[in-house]
Amino acid sequence: MFDFWYFLLRGLQLSAPMAYGALGAVYSETGGVVNIAVEGMMLTGTFFFVWGATLFKSWIAGLLFAIAGAVLISLIHGLATITFKVDHVVSGTALNILASGLTRFLSMQIFGMETQSTVNPYTPPTFLRINVIAYFFIPLAIFTVWLLNRTRFGLRLRSCGQNPWAADSLGVNVYAYKYIGVILSGVFAGLAAATLYPHQWIDAMTAGRGFLALAAMIFGNYNPLYAVLAAMLFGYAETLTYFQNQIPLLSGISPILIKAFPYVVALVVLAGFIGRTKAPKADGVIFEKGEG
Amino acid sequence: MRRVDTIKERIPLIELRGITKSFPGVVANDDIHLTLYEGEIHALVGENGAGKTTLMKILYGEYRADKGEILVRGKPVRITNPSVAVALGIGMVHQHFMLVPGLTVLENIILGSEPVKNVVLDLSLARRKIEDIMNANAMPVDLDAYVEDLPVGLQQRVEILKLLYRGAETLVLDEPTAVLTPQETSELFKTLKALKAQGRGIIFISHKLNEVLEIADRITVIRRGRVVGEMPLEEASKEKIAEMMVGKPVVLEVENPRVEVGEECLVLKDVVYEEYGVKKLDGISFSVHAGEIYGVAGVEGNGQEELLKIISGEIYPSAGEIHITNEVVNRIPPLGRRKLGVGHIPADRQAQGLFIDMPLYINAIVGWHWRQEFQKRGILDYKAMRSTASTIIKNFDVRTPSVEVPASALSGGNQQKFVVGREISFDPTLLLAAYPTRGVDVGATEFIYKQLIDEKIRGKAVLLISADLEEILALSDRIGVLYRGKIIKEFSREEATPEIIGLYMLGVKEE
Ligand SMILES: Nc1ncnc2c1ncn2[C@@H]1O[C@H](COP(=O)(O)OP(=O)(O)OP(=O)(O)O)[C@@H](O)[C@H]1O
Ligand SMILES: [Mg+2]
Repeated sequence: MFDFWYFLLRGLQLSAPMAYGALGAVYSETGGVVNIAVEGMMLTGTFFFVWGATLFKSWIAGLLFAIAGAVLISLIHGLATITFKVDHVVSGTALNILASGLTRFLSMQIFGMETQSTVNPYTPPTFLRINVIAYFFIPLAIFTVWLLNRTRFGLRLRSCGQNPWAADSLGVNVYAYKYIGVILSGVFAGLAAATLYPHQWIDAMTAGRGFLALAAMIFGNYNPLYAVLAAMLFGYAETLTYFQNQIPLLSGISPILIKAFPYVVALVVLAGFIGRTKAPKADGVIFEKGEG
Repeated sequence: MRRVDTIKERIPLIELRGITKSFPGVVANDDIHLTLYEGEIHALVGENGAGKTTLMKILYGEYRADKGEILVRGKPVRITNPSVAVALGIGMVHQHFMLVPGLTVLENIILGSEPVKNVVLDLSLARRKIEDIMNANAMPVDLDAYVEDLPVGLQQRVEILKLLYRGAETLVLDEPTAVLTPQETSELFKTLKALKAQGRGIIFISHKLNEVLEIADRITVIRRGRVVGEMPLEEASKEKIAEMMVGKPVVLEVENPRVEVGEECLVLKDVVYEEYGVKKLDGISFSVHAGEIYGVAGVEGNGQEELLKIISGEIYPSAGEIHITNEVVNRIPPLGRRKLGVGHIPADRQAQGLFIDMPLYINAIVGWHWRQEFQKRGILDYKAMRSTASTIIKNFDVRTPSVEVPASALSGGNQQKFVVGREISFDPTLLLAAYPTRGVDVGATEFIYKQLIDEKIRGKAVLLISADLEEILALSDRIGVLYRGKIIKEFSREEATPEIIGLYMLGVKEE
């Protein structure tokens, strides 16, 4: 029997990692830093969650660890791109590789196994059978819309992503705002990690969800609310694969095709929309302050 | 209103004393003294690369002087960054605008000094304040429009509003009229007069001496980083300023003989270009022959941009035919057209003419990099590139320490001379010249005019697009008036007068 309510809730939970990832990416790219390191930040976050939670026997410690781990990667990304002016994509790619190596290395050191951790019993509480953290991404998206459009912080962050030289000439501390944008993307990647699968860390468990988050952000035209809705499109597409057997219409189709469904959705959506979306004008542009 | 009392006794708003600034290989400012009083418009003129922009950037805190002192209302100050300048009541509109395209006019104006109420931006307070300023100075702009959608004239108005919103008493305008149409310029001048009447001081930089004589109270001339003269308006004349700038008498008139025209190098037949259902070009037809300069006159926004792009190959026509040297080129991309001998001086040198962060020896061959002389066993021949760059620099008097510096290290006018030099050097059969003297000093303008006329005499075809009617009249053998995407009337040079062309430009008269 198809349990519609459970389908809705499960979808919310499966959307959460991508939605949080996308929200974080919105902050980073609004400030003009291209952030393809979301995948690596999320992966690092998942490991740190399990590590912190088992170490302190508390899911809250796990959450804080997850955020700290993801922020650490985001800080490296900020240092590389903002301070040392490395190409954003190069730095992001390097960090994704680093994150996969780092988590395996730490797992070997801490859990004695390279590709998975021990099982973590200290997971966030559930409400209506799903992770409570998964309930907050829609309010946070609305908050982000407000923050970016109605506050001084938001206006300045947007100006840095559009024309940092103009912002600089008006006394806006461009470097500081860019750093804040990137760090916030780390914070959100930590939240994403806490909703993915807090019970255990498994090598490469993010499985491209960080990249899907970026796809959602682009599909959502860099708007926090639309980005989250796009993430939900991918999340619910994935949910369908779990409910395949309960839906008569889908039961005949090969599970492999169903598993590929969210990615196909992402591909089609991006191929159709990428030309029409509008990235911040100076997204990915290296900003160098004039002398003086 | 000019005050009669001797301005010497008043304390100046701004005083620069002995400002000196070097860049690697050049002394941009050499012991410069300059004063600005309340209620005064002080014009700063000088050749390209003379050091005007550098001096203003020092005043605005973007560059630090090596030596010298700045006094604001008689008090010595250290201006270490633009925020300090803003706090001291100094504001600057840059030669290349500093606006955030995707923000609204309102957001652009308040950025950096936003009023806030309980952490939320107080947009209604800001709006009231800006509306007061707009009303007081007769400079209306739609505050909710996105800056990227505004024409340059209004963008500049936004820049000035930014300064007034911050309470600037001293306004520095670096070549504000270079990108304006004559109508926009006269509106700007109205605003400047209003600001002056309120007791503000304005430093005005321009290469157009007529404008300087129209608006300035006092004029300072600098050459190669040094002040060579300062005079009140009463003592100034065009010839005198030009001579001081260049260091020798300048002929302000160019000789432009007619020559025998050859075959048609460029033909447009009923060309239509449609974008989102709007006909930007609406059945345009004309031709340019070898041995003539064809000038396109028109109010900005009547299709100039699209006309250039459709001839250079950046966009393709929706209907009609374009012929270049007897070939139909409708769907041939820009490089293919260049190979047919099309040279192109683009309207915006920074966006299209140059790779601003790349060295001059690379910029010297862009668009022409496919030519045989730059190939050496399949790779680029850097030696040939460097020597081409040097030749351009020498022939067009581009002021630069070497060919190794990036284009961004050149002054605005020198960037322009470099682009013009490059396009002419490769001896094109058809030369598209869009605003060829934008930001260029009098001496160099005369020189560029001569080069364009020489091209014509050598049997080349030149298409000239310019907002400066005087320029069009001085250079063109035939003139077409562009109005709403059509050439509505053609004149020979002999028939053309500014008055009659003006009527057609405004669409008052139509064929
Ligand atoms: N950032 C820089 N690095 C190196 N050299 C520079 C830099 N900025 C300016 N210069 C040099 O300093 C000199 C003065 O340039 P500046 O831009 O002040 O001239 P300008 O008088 O404003 O000329 P224009 O009328 O062409 O705008 C020029 O020789 C220029 O090449
Ligand atoms: Mg200049």
